[in-house]
Formats: sequence, structure tokens, C-alpha cells
Amino acid sequence: MLAAASPDIGRGHAEHLPSIVQSVLVEAQIELQQVDRIGVTIGPGSFAGIRVGVAFARGLALALDVPAIGVGALEAIAVPAARQAGNAVMAVLDARRERVWAIVVAADGAVVRAGAELTPQAAAALALETGCAIIGSGASQLAAVDLSLQSHILDRPVAPRIEDVARLAARLDPDRNPAEPRYLREADAKPQTGFAVPHQAVV
Amino acid sequence: MALSHGTSTGIGGMDILGIETSCDETAASVVRRHADGSGEILSDVVLSQLDLHAAFGGVVPELAARSHVTTLDRLVIQALDESGVALDQIDAVAVTSGPGLIGGLMVGLMTGKAIAMAANKPFIGINHLEGHALTARLTHAVPFPYLLLLVSGGHTQIVLVKGVNEYERWGTTIDDALGEAFDKTAKLLGLGYPGGPAVEQAALEGEPRRFRLPVPMRRDPRLDFSFSGLKTAVRQLAEAQAPLSQQTISDLCLAFETSVTSSLDDRISMAMQRFSERFGTGSGPALVVAGGVAANRAIRATLESRAAKAGFRFIAPPLNLCTDNAAMIAWAGAERLAAGLAADALTLAPRSRWPLDQTAAAVIGHGKRGAKA
Repeated sequence: MLAAASPDIGRGHAEHLPSIVQSVLVEAQIELQQVDRIGVTIGPGSFAGIRVGVAFARGLALALDVPAIGVGALEAIAVPAARQAGNAVMAVLDARRERVWAIVVAADGAVVRAGAELTPQAAAALALETGCAIIGSGASQLAAVDLSLQSHILDRPVAPRIEDVARLAARLDPDRNPAEPRYLREADAKPQTGFAVPHQAVV
Repeated sequence: MALSHGTSTGIGGMDILGIETSCDETAASVVRRHADGSGEILSDVVLSQLDLHAAFGGVVPELAARSHVTTLDRLVIQALDESGVALDQIDAVAVTSGPGLIGGLMVGLMTGKAIAMAANKPFIGINHLEGHALTARLTHAVPFPYLLLLVSGGHTQIVLVKGVNEYERWGTTIDDALGEAFDKTAKLLGLGYPGGPAVEQAALEGEPRRFRLPVPMRRDPRLDFSFSGLKTAVRQLAEAQAPLSQQTISDLCLAFETSVTSSLDDRISMAMQRFSERFGTGSGPALVVAGGVAANRAIRATLESRAAKAGFRFIAPPLNLCTDNAAMIAWAGAERLAAGLAADALTLAPRSRWPLDQTAAAVIGHGKRGAKA
């Protein structure tokens, strides 16, 4: 690991991301043109935030003619935690609207249950069933469902560590891990009906 | 990747990569500005999201943004390839940074920033409205000053274009944009989306004297527009006639089209009069139309004849350059660089609202959900 930066900026990814990337390159003492691949988190998370990162990574990849690798946010939290703990781990993020996004990986980092949007109850049941450790901002929601899960919680990060994202991206197959957003939630949009004035039946 | 080596622009010329993602078209283009100030579109790629939004009767911002982010980089590569200009030969990256839907703007902005940063090119954030305003100089080399009527799904404005970066907004809509009014009328009459072509088609079979609708803002000394009252009038008429026959739908469409055409005619003739009082008509001034509604034949014919009577040249860029596109963004970038205006920092933020005329006061009745600028 040559350099990493993850300032907590709240809003304003679009304004800050280029200069954060610049400062990391300066610290690492390498030119952007020397970078061999770009790793980017593809979610789940804030829809707009995912797109800021993915659009920027894809733009860099286009201009540098290198691959952009999509790294799942849940994988990037769960895999290093599982390897470190030597145990199966569920990464779980608060998805709001009384939902969580959760994944379960084995001790070797292999995905046991793919990332999905779940109720805290379903995620808690899954955690109990697999006997895994729990990590992520949604951990408290699971413990609220079943107090016994409290002791399984490793940590409550809201996002992966950026160095873990880069490490995973270094090993992933670019063709199978494109930088495509993984929202795990549909857009809020319903076709409008009942708006038109009634027509005569066509005879 | 675009690694082919195209022809050089020569001394004083420049090739600009343009990106546009402010609404429901994903677009990329390379435009060349020659040293003599003339322009040439080297490539112009547009991916419409029409099918994506049709079922919803309007653009769904989240769906639009999702589509932009998965398609834009490929369109940029295509635009570079078709232009024959390699990225390292590009002189600047110009990106729509507002006004528009914030999710889409972010995608275009970040892609443009990344390309500019990785390829060491100047980055320019462009006001989408400036793109529309300057298109006539790309297509018809129109000299300043001229009068612009912008009529689209998001905007309805009369703008005095005095020079690059010098705009006076003379009128705007106080509620719905005209394209939006067409869409809403089509929706309530059960016609398709987008509403413009559907209403125009239906109006062709309409009986001219059956319905009369008020002409919004007629003779109002402000040059503003209003279409939401008209939309309500159409609804009331339609409900009184329900269930609607095909003929009644056509008659209502014609009445609507006639009303908005008369309103535009009234507003634009006052604007041309004001222009003539200020600048004279000796130089053969131009009335330029832009925006998707400029495709409407009745509106176009009315404006054309009104312009001729007022001693104005009527200029309508080809339709693909009237609707949203990236060539106009690239061209605006070229015009700004040629005018000596500075490029932007990579900290530039997108702006969902961004009036072209920074001095223009917000219009009374201009609701939060109304027109974007």
C-alpha cells in the first residue's frame, strides 16, 4: 500500500474526488499515467455517491486505457474481516427504510450468500443460522432484533477501507468485475395511470 | 480506444470533446473550431432514453442517471473514434454542468473531469442553455447580437445573445415549459409520450372552429410565458366532452396548438420589436429557435412568417442540433476558449439551476418545481 486517503467530507463527492486522487498519487510518488488499473466501489450505498465514483473511474479508465474494476462495498468490508477473523463474516450496511444490505462470506473470503437487500429480521436470522461474525453500520439493527448477536459484532464501518478496495481490485478479473453500479434497490418509479380523460370505445 | 491519429487543426484551430447528460439524452461529440471562427462537427453521438421513460409519461431522474453512467464512456469512445481525433490531440473537455437533473449532471461532470485529469486537458463546465444559445453560430455563423427563442421540455425563454458569456434573459416561463405543456396535454388526452409529436399529429385532423382556448400572456408587457392555466383549460374542456372521440381529441389538440402558437407569436413579435428599437434592423438581425418544440411545423411556420414581417432572418438549426446534444456543448467550450474565458477547476460543482443571465431576477410565480432556470 503506497497511499490512501478517505476524508469524511459528508456531501460533495463530485467536487472533492479529483483532488483526493491527486493527493494520493503525490503521496505515492507515482503519475496517474503509471496506474495499471482503477478499482472503484460499486455499491450498495448512496445511489448518487456510487455514480460519482463509477463515472470518475470509468472516465479515468477510458483516458488511460486501463481496466476499471468494480468492487462490491459489502465484499470489500466482509472479505478482509473474514480473513482476519478466520471465521465466516456477514457485512451488513444500513439501507434505511428499515432495510439492510447484507452479504455472508466464508473464512477464506468466498461468498456464501450474495449481497441482497433484507429486512433486519431476515438478516438477523441469517446471521444466527450461519453463526457468522457481523461487521458494518447495520450491525446494530441486527442486534436490536436479537440481542445475542451483540457479541458477534466486530465493528460498525459505514463503508469499506479504501486500501481494501484497491487490494481486492488488484486481484479481480476485469472482465467479470466491470465498474457497473450495484444498487441492490430498484429506482423509485411507478408508471402513471388514471391521468387521462376517458375515451369513447373504438367501434 | 481512440488511438488513431487524425488530421491536425492547424494553427489557431481547436478540437473540443463535448459531453451532455443533463436530461434524458446521453451524448458525446467532437467539434472543431477553425481559426477563422467557423465550426465543424467531427462526430455527434446521441443515445436517447425515450423508451426508458415512456411508460412513466416523463423523465424519471433516477432511471436517467442509471442509464447515463452505464453508457456514457462507450459513447465518448465512439465519438472520439468517429471524429478521427485521438484523445491526446483534443484541446479541451467541455461538459454540461447545469442546469438539469443533478444525477445525470454528476455522471457527465465526473466522466469529463476524469478524462481531463488523466489526459492533461483543460476542463470546461458549460451551461446547457449556452450550448443552445450558441448553436446557430456553429451551423449558420450568425453574428452577435441576435434573438434566441428556446422552447424545449425544460425551458421556454427569450434570450438576447450579445456575445459569448453575454446574455440577457428577456422572458421565461412562470410555470410549465412549453414542451412540458405538450407532454401533459398529450397525457391527459391519452396520447403517447413524448407529447409534442403526438399532439401535432392529432391536431392535423382537428376542426379549427370547434374549441377556443385563451392565449396566455397576450399583450403582457413582460416577455414571459405561462402554460399551466392553458393546460387546466384543456382538461376542463376535455372532461366536459368525455368520453372523448378521436375527433374531439384532434379538435382539442388543434385548439391547444393554436393557443400556444399565438402566445409564442405575440411574445416573439414584442421581443423583435424591442430588439429593433435597441439595435435597428439595418444589419438584418436574426431570430434563432432552439429546443425540441422547434420541430413543431405550425409553430415554426408562424415564427418564420413573423420574423420575415419584422425584417429578421429566421434561423432554425437542424433538428438534431435543436434537441439535446453534445456538439453544442463542445462548440460552446470552443467559443469560450476562443473568447479568452478561463477553463474551470476540477472542483466545479454541478448546478441543477443555473440561469444563463446571472442578473435575471427570479420570476414571480416561478415555483420550485417549475422551469429550471
